[in-house]
Amino acid sequence: MGLAKTHIQSGQGAAQTDGNIITTTIDKVVNWGRKNSLWPMPFGTACCAIEMMATLASKFDLSRFGSEAIRFSPRQSDLLIVSGRISIKMMPVLKRIYDQMPDPKWVISMGACASCGGVFDTYTLIQGVDQFIPVDVYIPGCPPRPEDLIDAVMQVQQKIASGAAPKGIEVAYE
Amino acid sequence: MNEEKGIAEQASPLVLEKLAAHHSEALLAQRETRGRVGVVVRKEQAYAVLEYLKTDPELAYTYLVDVTAVDNSQMESELMQFDYARFMVVYQLYSYQGQCRVQVKVPVHENDLSVPSVTGLWRGANWLERETYDMFGINFEGHPELRRILMPDDFEGYPLRKDYPLRGRGERESFNFEKQNV
Ligand code: SF4
Repeated sequence: MGLAKTHIQSGQGAAQTDGNIITTTIDKVVNWGRKNSLWPMPFGTACCAIEMMATLASKFDLSRFGSEAIRFSPRQSDLLIVSGRISIKMMPVLKRIYDQMPDPKWVISMGACASCGGVFDTYTLIQGVDQFIPVDVYIPGCPPRPEDLIDAVMQVQQKIASGAAPKGIEVAYE
Repeated sequence: MNEEKGIAEQASPLVLEKLAAHHSEALLAQRETRGRVGVVVRKEQAYAVLEYLKTDPELAYTYLVDVTAVDNSQMESELMQFDYARFMVVYQLYSYQGQCRVQVKVPVHENDLSVPSVTGLWRGANWLERETYDMFGINFEGHPELRRILMPDDFEGYPLRKDYPLRGRGERESFNFEKQNV
């Protein structure tokens, strides 16, 4: 129960403040804030990262969705965007970065390579990062268009707004 | 464009003429296709030839563009030509002075995988030779620090050899990334 509701229930003021006060829950307010200020940690290792950069730049302008504050420190971010091929030598780095991000955190696996290895079914490439870190939203395509990334960010936003737990937390409590 | 024209106008490229005059005993083969010059030289004289190409004032191939190798184990025609040497170590050189390129190939037998390192001539050869070692297992003798550069240090095998399976030998699944130093 938020403060607003208690105020109304206390009587007297209710009539005067009609229309200026909304009732909600703390969770909803917090989620609303989280959803509109996702700070991405970019993990761009290949060509998909170029599309990610385009998404962040002025033409596609991810800041319209509150996600323009790219953090190169995992400690300050809550959305990991894996865009590109991840080799077996790179995977420990990615895992370490994921572990360093504070909860709650969400992960977007961008493009065919990050999601399933793509065309690179070779000795050195991880065939899907979801074997090692929990992924919330997958984006198909090689490379996906910037609109696809925007769509994925919006799906993460919807997930947050719905109150669903991030995949990482789901996995942890299974 | 200029560079190709310049060479095409000459009857025989200067580098081939000079090599024939000074290192004829080292030459196994030579070719020239559309202004691209290539020579195959014996391993024993490879260092001397490369040094000559770099230091000769008229040639001055001062820029080592690339060092790599080719596994010819499934190329019967190539194998026959060079005494069944499985690998070819390839040096790509460029001369700013003459604005022309030359490709030097060195056949290497599987039972003796050592080749002299050219890090003494071009310091840029350091990482290129490490990569060739990493991918093909060619030993560059005299290299200051010959260890893997792309694959993890404990990786076994040489992945660009033709007998290495494309999907690997299970290292994708068995890779233990907890013990890696991040
Ligand atoms: S999915 Fe395509 S564009 Fe993206 S990293 Fe892989 S190859 Fe590059």
